[in-house]
Amino acid sequence: MANHTSTQASFENQPTWAGGRSPFNVSYGKLMMWIFLLSDAFTFSSLLVQYGTQRFSNVVTPITTKWPDPASIFNHFPLMHGLHLPLLFVSVMTFILILSSVTMVLAVEAGHRKSKAEVSRYMVYTIIGGVAFLSCQAWEWYTFIHEGARLDGNTFGITKQGYDHLKSVGFGSHFEWADGDRTFGPVPFAALFFIVTGFHGFHVFSGVVINVVVYIMTVRGVFERRGHYEMIEKAGLYWHFVDLVWVFVFTFFYLI
Amino acid sequence: MEFYTKPGEYDAINYVPHTESHGTKELWKTFWLLLGITVLDFVIYFVMPASGFRNFIFIFFGLVKAYYIVGAFMHLKHEKINLALVILVPMIFVLGLISGLLYEGSALEVMKSM
Repeated sequence: MANHTSTQASFENQPTWAGGRSPFNVSYGKLMMWIFLLSDAFTFSSLLVQYGTQRFSNVVTPITTKWPDPASIFNHFPLMHGLHLPLLFVSVMTFILILSSVTMVLAVEAGHRKSKAEVSRYMVYTIIGGVAFLSCQAWEWYTFIHEGARLDGNTFGITKQGYDHLKSVGFGSHFEWADGDRTFGPVPFAALFFIVTGFHGFHVFSGVVINVVVYIMTVRGVFERRGHYEMIEKAGLYWHFVDLVWVFVFTFFYLI
Repeated sequence: MEFYTKPGEYDAINYVPHTESHGTKELWKTFWLLLGITVLDFVIYFVMPASGFRNFIFIFFGLVKAYYIVGAFMHLKHEKINLALVILVPMIFVLGLISGLLYEGSALEVMKSM
């Protein structure tokens, strides 16, 4: 079958990339994926820089801040009602994403060996990981919204203790103290959480869709006929980028 | 099923350099590293009281994780240096934006409490 001819053979006689060869020794598609990811990195940077600016405009001393403490908000774990478990659930989410990154990269490696069975198996694992992560995020959002967080409102503030400390260091009169031992903190806290994790979750969702498409193409033997599994690498680049963004979301929204 | 790829046609677009498997050793090493750093994040979070230094550690660990994800998983370490620079150098502008806007954020705080 003529279709088995590698595209590499005919490359020699073609004015590839106008200059006669690939400038970076990568394919056109892969370079374009990199350029897209660069622009996407700028998108997420702008969101995270906005988060940083809002947060810095609510700092009173280096340690005390009117910004709510994530540990007192994201401290839930499914089926463990009433327990204070900060960081645990989001660590599980991080673990799921790292694991699905590994299965993705194993699919890429299997693609180098042109092993169709292994590629499709690892793609299935990756898709499962992505869906598991999205489910976790849905639960996280559900809990957060259930406790009163909205795009245009934030029921989370600092504790009475923190308020007293702020008062003792003199923070000005713009800060409203509500009844009870909680204040209503800065609105951007909830808004930025929804926007940034939502945007990231949307990327995970698109990644899952891309992975499903690529998986179907693998199973139907498209890459086998094409002679290379580079599409797996391109989908993999996107998937790892999603993991990369999560590293920073995890750091700035939960750890700090 | 036919996609846009037909061997012999559009070769400028479809040229793909030959790639070989380098085994899974480096990949698993990277996985254990990422997992280890995340566990370390978790431990430090509970062991150390909140401070600027702790935040510095978390950001540093984040950058280390980013280095391994981009370098090993996204394979940028093994690409041509030109490609790596094309991707990484523009991010310098983000560093500028971060330092600028964090400073402005602090100034905003001072203005609000005046």
